[in-house]
Amino acid sequence: MKLEITTSGQFKIVKVDGRIDTTRAVEFESSVVNLIDQGCNNLIINCLGLNYISSSGLRVFLVLQKRLAGQQGVFRLCCLKPEIQEIFDISGFSTIFQIFPTEEAALAGEK
Amino acid sequence: MNTHDRKQLILGNRVEELTKMETFLEELGTDWNLPMPLVLNLNLALEEAITNIMFYGYDDEESHTILIEFSRTDNQLTIHIIDDGHEYDPTARPDPDITLAAEDRPIGGLGIFLIKKVMDQVDYERKENKNYLKLNKRIEK
Repeated sequence: MKLEITTSGQFKIVKVDGRIDTTRAVEFESSVVNLIDQGCNNLIINCLGLNYISSSGLRVFLVLQKRLAGQQGVFRLCCLKPEIQEIFDISGFSTIFQIFPTEEAALAGEK
Repeated sequence: MNTHDRKQLILGNRVEELTKMETFLEELGTDWNLPMPLVLNLNLALEEAITNIMFYGYDDEESHTILIEFSRTDNQLTIHIIDDGHEYDPTARPDPDITLAAEDRPIGGLGIFLIKKVMDQVDYERKENKNYLKLNKRIEK
């Protein structure tokens, strides 16, 4: 798993490449939580390079959503591959999260 | 069925062993010419089942082995997962309510549900002090 963090306006964008599974979820969680601890309140996870997620990874997304919602922050996802979207659909996560087709749409908040 | 249509993987009850499984499944996908989405679903079902055993199956600090057997026919993949942990029937676990809003969704509890969703059939049996979990999935080319 590789994470690339950029800033666009008031958003931090985390581009994740590879897998978020049981062995990698802790690292993913601590990196992103660290961003929030440093004051990031508007977060986009770009999932273009995400090719595998298990319940350990889904759990982290839910943790981030709850954390940011609790501090009136914004949490958006974009660019999910069809196989990742399927796992989100199965889990009922597609309706919990704000998911956008592109990074531009996520930044604008317009589907 | 000849030996080419059977493979097995033995894992220790340590999370690091999942990396071994990941590599094994990639090779299995290539050897058996399985479509990539199927390999991903297989990996997901197995990761959920195996981590459950590793995290909740044992009280002691001893090392245990988990045996995973793969077999296939032309259009059917069958996986047996055998462990010597506590008796635990994942198929008996109630499904989570996936319609709840984020603030009401419990953290966790999705793993078993994902196994049932990505596999066609999941069966459990307890015999000789071991858990036998059988997963079936149709191979669609």
